[in-house]
Amino acid sequence: MLNHFAEMTGSVEVLGKGLMLGLGMIGPGLGVGLIGSSFMNAVGRNPESSKFLGQILVFVAIVELMALLVFASLFIIK
Amino acid sequence: MLNSLINIFSASEAGPTVHIAPGELFEIHGYAITNSIVFSWVCGLVIIAILAGVARRMTIRPKGGITQVVEIGSDFITGLLENSLGDRDKALKYSPYFVSIFFFIAITNIMGLLPGVGEAFTLNETPVFRAFTADLNGTLAAAVISMIMIQSFAIRESGFIKHLRHYFAGKLWNPLTYLIGFYELFGELIRVGSLALRLFLNVAIGEVIISVFSYLGKFFAPLTAFPFVFLEIGVALLQAYIFVMLSVTYLSLAIKHGHDDDHELEKTAEIMKI
Repeated sequence: MLNHFAEMTGSVEVLGKGLMLGLGMIGPGLGVGLIGSSFMNAVGRNPESSKFLGQILVFVAIVELMALLVFASLFIIK
Repeated sequence: MLNSLINIFSASEAGPTVHIAPGELFEIHGYAITNSIVFSWVCGLVIIAILAGVARRMTIRPKGGITQVVEIGSDFITGLLENSLGDRDKALKYSPYFVSIFFFIAITNIMGLLPGVGEAFTLNETPVFRAFTADLNGTLAAAVISMIMIQSFAIRESGFIKHLRHYFAGKLWNPLTYLIGFYELFGELIRVGSLALRLFLNVAIGEVIISVFSYLGKFFAPLTAFPFVFLEIGVALLQAYIFVMLSVTYLSLAIKHGHDDDHELEKTAEIMKI
């Protein structure tokens, strides 16, 4: 099957890149969604805790690092 | 006529120009000077001019203009330090370094979005100016210097032996202590790498996004890339804040002593005169 794919498109790296991008973005997407949902739950219980928005963005940046690593390895794989 | 219209509105065969590695401009004594280094000199001069000018005009009563912006920024970082370290004097002692690296990274990121930076001026087919943080060498240098400063602050605060005991905590005849100690030291190196990679990837991927969208909207390139410039300004400020926030967290983790609770109890007992 991979031979057939290589005949059609000329190289098999495209398959690897597509799979890596699609499967790799599942994790960070779920992670940021979980952070957002827990922040909204906390603000709903206690509206004064919206002053922690700065801290929440720090955690979002730590998770976003994984997503950016996936996107950057698109350019590293030839 | 329809053909020429289609040629204007559709993208050409060649892809968008993407530079990840910096291009070399000239050499001094065998060291290659890249365009990121030249841009960092320009940014350094701009930042020294701005900050020295503001420091001269600082008064007790608040004034408007750039003075107020710099004061807001430095108050913000000093408040962050005070929350993490717990002590106003310590925060004032360590704040010059963190405030200056916050302004350096924020202003360098934003200056990387100016019109002259990038493909506009080229010298032997390499761009003359390029953002300092869009280059892995630059952010790695910033992260390594931050880690060296944090370690030297911690050693100055608690002494060399106590700082090492912070990592190799536990009984000295237990071999597990040394294993955990080396693992923690390796963790410090991982922190340097993650700081550098986070800043570099955010800025470089932003540039790639802007160049892809400029390439897609061939004739309307300014219109299609316009919203992403605002995204990039937001990302620039946020990433500078996160870099400094994580450095401050690492510093407070390295300085923290185990017996802080006893000090709190003693202070409270002093105040209540028990």
